Amino acid sequence: MLKIEGIGAAYGEFRVLHEISLEVRSGETAIAVGPNGAGKTTLLKVISGLLKPSSGIIYFDGERIDDREPHEIVGLGISLVPERGRLFPYLSVLDNLKIGSFSKKARKDFRKALDETFGLFPILKDRKKQLAGSLSGGERQMLAIARSLMSRPKLVMLDEPSSGLAPKIISRVFEFVRNIKSQGYSILMVEQNARKALELADRAYILESGKLQFHGGKEDFIRNPYIKKAYLGI
Amino acid sequence: MLEQILNAALNGILLGGVLALLAFGLNLIFGVVKIIHMAYGQFVMLGLYLIYALTMQLHLPLVLSASIAVFAMAILGLLTQLLVIGPLLGAPRLNQLLALAGLIIVFENLAMVIWGADYRGIPLYLPILKIANFYIRGSCLFAFLGALITLGLLYLFLNKTYIGLAIRATAQDTEIVKLMGVNPRSVYFITLAAGGALTGIVAAFFTPIYTVHPHFGSSFTIMAFIIVVLGGMGNLLGGFIGAFIIGVVTSVSAVLTTTEVADIIALVIFILVMLVRPQGLLGTRGI
Repeated sequence: MLKIEGIGAAYGEFRVLHEISLEVRSGETAIAVGPNGAGKTTLLKVISGLLKPSSGIIYFDGERIDDREPHEIVGLGISLVPERGRLFPYLSVLDNLKIGSFSKKARKDFRKALDETFGLFPILKDRKKQLAGSLSGGERQMLAIARSLMSRPKLVMLDEPSSGLAPKIISRVFEFVRNIKSQGYSILMVEQNARKALELADRAYILESGKLQFHGGKEDFIRNPYIKKAYLGI
Repeated sequence: MLEQILNAALNGILLGGVLALLAFGLNLIFGVVKIIHMAYGQFVMLGLYLIYALTMQLHLPLVLSASIAVFAMAILGLLTQLLVIGPLLGAPRLNQLLALAGLIIVFENLAMVIWGADYRGIPLYLPILKIANFYIRGSCLFAFLGALITLGLLYLFLNKTYIGLAIRATAQDTEIVKLMGVNPRSVYFITLAAGGALTGIVAAFFTPIYTVHPHFGSSFTIMAFIIVVLGGMGNLLGGFIGAFIIGVVTSVSAVLTTTEVADIIALVIFILVMLVRPQGLLGTRGI
C-alpha cells in the first residue's frame, strides 16, 4: 500500500533523514519508534507532502506521490494526525470534523462519516457545538483522530498520539488506535512510547539520528537484546 | 442640544455600518493571508471612478455600472494576489508592506492620468428623511441597510459553506489546513477576490454620498485600519463593533466641536484603547 524507497530529507542544509525505506501493507499497522529528534515527525511530513524529500521515491497504491501537493495526497487516501492534534481551536468540534471532509470524495460522504465518527467517539457528539480549543487533552487527541477519519483515508498516520497526555489518557488513546485498526484501516504510527506502540504493531522500525537502524516483525523486536534494553526497558 | 446629539449618534450608527463593511475586507485579508492590504482604500477609489465612468461617460444604468465595478474589483483583487502578494508570501513583512504601499502610488496616479484631479461625482439626490424628530440622509440609510445585508450574506458564506469553512480554518493554521485537503493558495485567491468585490460594493454605496478624487482612498485605508486594529486584528466581530464605535464617536464629536476635532477625538480614543488593550477590543491571538 505505502512503499518508501531511499528517502532523504533536509531542512535547508541540515539533513534530517538518510536513505529511509519502509513499507506499510494493506490492513497492517506499522510503527516507527525512536528518540526525540530522530526524524520521526519529519518522516510523516515527507509522506504527507508537507516537506519535499531531497531524494528517494514514495509509492502509494502503486502510484508515485513524492511530487504531489499535500492537499492532493489527502485526496488519494493518506491522512495525518499531527502531534498534539493541531486542531483549529477557534472552530467548533463539528466544524473541525467538517473541514476534515473537505476533499471532494469525502465531502459526498460527510453525513455517513459523521454518523460513524459519533458512533466511535460519542463524547464528540455531545460537544459538537463547543470550540475545539476548550476540549481536554484527551478529547483533543480524539477529535484529531476523528477529523483525520473524516477524509475517508486508507492509510492513517499518527504522530506521537501519546504526546503530552496523562498515563491514564494515553491508554485510552491507544484503545482508540486499536479500535481503528480493527476497522481495517492501515496505520503508520510514530511513537516514543515503544512498549505501548508495539502491542499494536504488525511491523516495526527503529529510527535513530535520521537513519533506519532496525526493522522487523513484532517478535523480532521483542527478542532483540538491544531493543529490549534501549526501548522496552526489560 | 440633546436632540442634536442623539441625531448625530444615529447618523454615526449609519456611518458605522458602512465602515464595518469597509473594514471587513481588510480584516478578512489580514486574518487569512496575514498581510496588511495598504492599498485597500485605493480599491474603493477606483471602484467609485469606475462607476462614475460607466454611468456618466458610457451612459450605462447605475445598477449595471455598480455590478460591473464589483466584478472588476474582484478581478483586481485576484490580480493583486497573482502579481504582488503571491510572489511575496515568504518575503519579510516590510517588503510586503512596501509593495502594497507601492500600489497606492500606482492606483492614485492611474486615476490622475485617466480622470484628472477634479472631483467627480454622479448627481444623485436621495431625499432627507424625517423620522420622529430625527433627520437622516436617505443615501446614508440606503448605504447602511445595504452594508448590513452584505455583512449578513458574508456571515452566511463564511459559516455555511465549505469554502467559507476553509477560509476560517486557513486563517487559524495555514499548514494543517493542507492536510485537510485544502489548497491555501486557492483560499488566498478567493479571499483577495472577495475583498476586492467588497471594495466594489462599498464604492457602490459611497456613490450617492461622496464625490471622488485621486486621493480619496487614503483616508479610508487609515479609517479601516484603525477599526481593524481597534477591534483586534483578524477578529471579524471586533472589527464590526470597532466600526460602530468610530462611527458614533466621530459623528457625535463633530456636532459638539468641528469635523477636524472629531477626528482628533476618535484617534485619541483609539490610542487610549491601544494603551490599555494592545491586542484590540476582542483580540486574542498574538500576531
